[in-house]
Amino acid sequence: MEEYDAIVIGAGNGGITASAAMAQKGLNVLLLERHNIPGGCATSFCRGRFEFEVALHQLSGMGTVEKPGPLRMMLASLGVLDDLEFVEMSELYSIMMPDGFKLSLKPDKEEVIKELQDRFPHEKQAIEKFFDLSYKYANDMLSTFIFKDPAPSREKYPTMYEYAFKPASEVLDSLISDPLLKAVLSVYWGYVGLPPNRLAFPYLAMIFFTYIEFKPFHIKGGSQALSNVIINKFISHGGTVRFNCGAKEIKIENGKVKGVVTDDGEFIPARFVVSNASQVSTYVQLIDPQHVPGQVSREMRGRSLSSSAFSMFVGFDCEPDELGITEPTTFLLDNIDFGDRVINQMKKLDIDDQLLVLSCYDVSDPEFSPPGTCQANIVTLKYGEPWLSIPPAQYNKTKFRCAEAMLRRVEAIYPGVRGHIEEIEVATPLTHMRYLGHPNGSIYGFEQYTKDSMFFQPGRYSPIEGLYFASGWAGDCGFHPTLQAGLSAAKSIVRKLETE
Amino acid sequence: MKKNIFEDFDGYNDILEEIEHSRKYGINYSAERHSPAQFINRLHPPVLSLIVSDIIEETSSTKTLRLIPDDGYLPPFLAGQYVALTLEIGGIRTSRPYSISSPPNQTGFYDITVRRVDGGLVSNYLLDEVKKGDHLQSSGPAGHFYYNPLFHDKSMVCIAGGSGITPFMSMVNEIADCGIDRTVFLLYGNKNSGDVIFHEKFQAISDRFENIHYIPVIEEPPDDYDGSRGLITGDLIKEKIGNVDDKTFYLCGPQGMYDFCIPELVKLGIPDKKIREEVYGAPANICDYAGWPEDIKAETVFKVSVNGGRTLDARAGEPLITALEKKGVIVPSLCRSGECSMCRIRIISGKVFQPKGVPVRKSDRQFGYVHSCVSYPLDDLAIAL
Repeated sequence: MEEYDAIVIGAGNGGITASAAMAQKGLNVLLLERHNIPGGCATSFCRGRFEFEVALHQLSGMGTVEKPGPLRMMLASLGVLDDLEFVEMSELYSIMMPDGFKLSLKPDKEEVIKELQDRFPHEKQAIEKFFDLSYKYANDMLSTFIFKDPAPSREKYPTMYEYAFKPASEVLDSLISDPLLKAVLSVYWGYVGLPPNRLAFPYLAMIFFTYIEFKPFHIKGGSQALSNVIINKFISHGGTVRFNCGAKEIKIENGKVKGVVTDDGEFIPARFVVSNASQVSTYVQLIDPQHVPGQVSREMRGRSLSSSAFSMFVGFDCEPDELGITEPTTFLLDNIDFGDRVINQMKKLDIDDQLLVLSCYDVSDPEFSPPGTCQANIVTLKYGEPWLSIPPAQYNKTKFRCAEAMLRRVEAIYPGVRGHIEEIEVATPLTHMRYLGHPNGSIYGFEQYTKDSMFFQPGRYSPIEGLYFASGWAGDCGFHPTLQAGLSAAKSIVRKLETE
Repeated sequence: MKKNIFEDFDGYNDILEEIEHSRKYGINYSAERHSPAQFINRLHPPVLSLIVSDIIEETSSTKTLRLIPDDGYLPPFLAGQYVALTLEIGGIRTSRPYSISSPPNQTGFYDITVRRVDGGLVSNYLLDEVKKGDHLQSSGPAGHFYYNPLFHDKSMVCIAGGSGITPFMSMVNEIADCGIDRTVFLLYGNKNSGDVIFHEKFQAISDRFENIHYIPVIEEPPDDYDGSRGLITGDLIKEKIGNVDDKTFYLCGPQGMYDFCIPELVKLGIPDKKIREEVYGAPANICDYAGWPEDIKAETVFKVSVNGGRTLDARAGEPLITALEKKGVIVPSLCRSGECSMCRIRIISGKVFQPKGVPVRKSDRQFGYVHSCVSYPLDDLAIAL
């Protein structure tokens, strides 16, 4: 029987980079994936003549060839950079409201400030202050945690000490009085899953900083291209991947990982296991309860499940400009109250005036969809719970009802879009649950409150020896963080082997 | 131990307190409550255990198998969707998709209607060997051939050929049974009158419901036949449905029907997006397809090495998945028509023929992934499952 140093469970972003990085270091790695394709969220599917992108909206951390960002460097270290083609997106984001309000921001600090100041002249100074503060915060963080200042102090990094644990809304409220401007500056909360009154200011600051400094990107061939390229690299390093084969159990003995039992009942020994599945599934479904240390259950108790999403993938029979879509990333804003009202809406089935994001990759990459067509990926955040209690017989009806409401919101901004629909597919929280295997269909792992940040949680580590986590459940979510999570898990294992 | 710097950040102690609080009053992640499978299996079970409760003779070559659930539960489906039966015939494990011909409102059973195909491994087995009380296994319902209320017209023109009638049986019955506000024009082509499946049933429904129009079309009818004859031409469609602009067209039948009818619809000025086609299995005579290399005959045999291990023989004229199944290598499959990507495998070396228009992801093409149900060996191959 083949001997493996490590078994990776799940071929999502974290699982594939963990696999590729370990194989690159000469470890013999087995990657198990119960689906027939790698990627997890980072995938695509075909309908008619369209290939729909599932999850990637704006790739962060890439940077340019001249000024590479952390993700570009990471992909280079994995040896996959040259196998991929990246498309820089010309917009940070735009906002459209049914009353005709439209605003579009370029990924350039001076231009963002200027555009906002032109539109909100009464908030000129506040805008300046907000971006200064965000940049100061980001620079403090980088100096301390990336460049690892050996002697950080409050005197050197006052912004970090003051703002690290502050809610975004508190910062916005202290600087800005125009509620519309506050909403305009905080729509990126949708990329984290918590509205600004629950979201730590650092998220907002870091998102602006990274998207502006390293620019938002997309990938030719979509996120599936990224997944395929990394798997290909893994295989070329001698790695083994088994598709259509999930894990049934992680075997533990005396607090140490012994191996994995596959869905087919085969036991495969290994000293290390990297779980790309959630901690919930890993500890509750894959490990015999008697081997789960008490501290794990205690820690998990304090975490809550993030929202899932309701998404619509639409293929149109025309170019984006014919529909009035002129930006790659547009937030459709119908109500600027981002308070707890938002959470209540997310807990309901139906879609009314909540925030939607519409990504149209064809705007920045005209080859994305077939010639003369384009596609839009429209998403709103919804918790999974209400979907769990729908009687199965009512499921399709409910799905179409919610999709109809979403489509009407889109029509209010882009009149006449319905007449151009050629293909449409709808994904509910149950769809996300089906394909990701996450409890409640959560797309952002555990909720990202301040108490859930890396300072306070076990992240990739487990008290079970040999077990590591690599996913959005072990840290931040999004492409760059989850790809990084896999690399970090791989590093931990390689280091452990080297010190022996 | 060295103090972490974040312990000095403003608000640190409040966060610690919050963590303590949340752990005390937080969520107990028990297996029952949070197992995704428990919820998903009600809609998308990986396997359905079914019992043949009845066999209904429809025509001399066609039977309906009525399938009831072994455990009392059938997942819902949309009229037009199919299940893939998994069967073991003569030691070969394979699967075939069959549209559910009963309507979704009939929740106690799924009907599948099977017509004999000359030399058809599965159809002949289902017609000749399967008996009342037998157990069968299938996938959950799947497929994208259904009325989509988000953008389809409320007036549907359904064009069927031969056994392609089955999804329309489901759609028409649902509309009639549930009083749904939609209009159907069903044009149903067959070679002879004796081939027409469900003729009396459709006739009876269309007699009772003003919104259901049933138009059988017989290619070679007897001289005294007074219905529509010949093929389903644009002229005939126009004559029967009137205004073509406010209607969505659904086609299900053999390849020859698509080859003939779609240009007819295009001639009527119907845009592509209003023409919805159901997939109908792998092409029967792949060697006749445009682009097939002349020097390779259907009978040519190539060697296929699987996962760097065993090697088996595969005929050029046969889908790769079939060759694999004959040697006991199982690749999961669903639509068997190239559409669903379930049977995705990687070609490491060697060439395969894939008919035009198979929806394979762009980056999959780049890395040699194919849908093995519509890939034909043109070379000795090395593949990875």
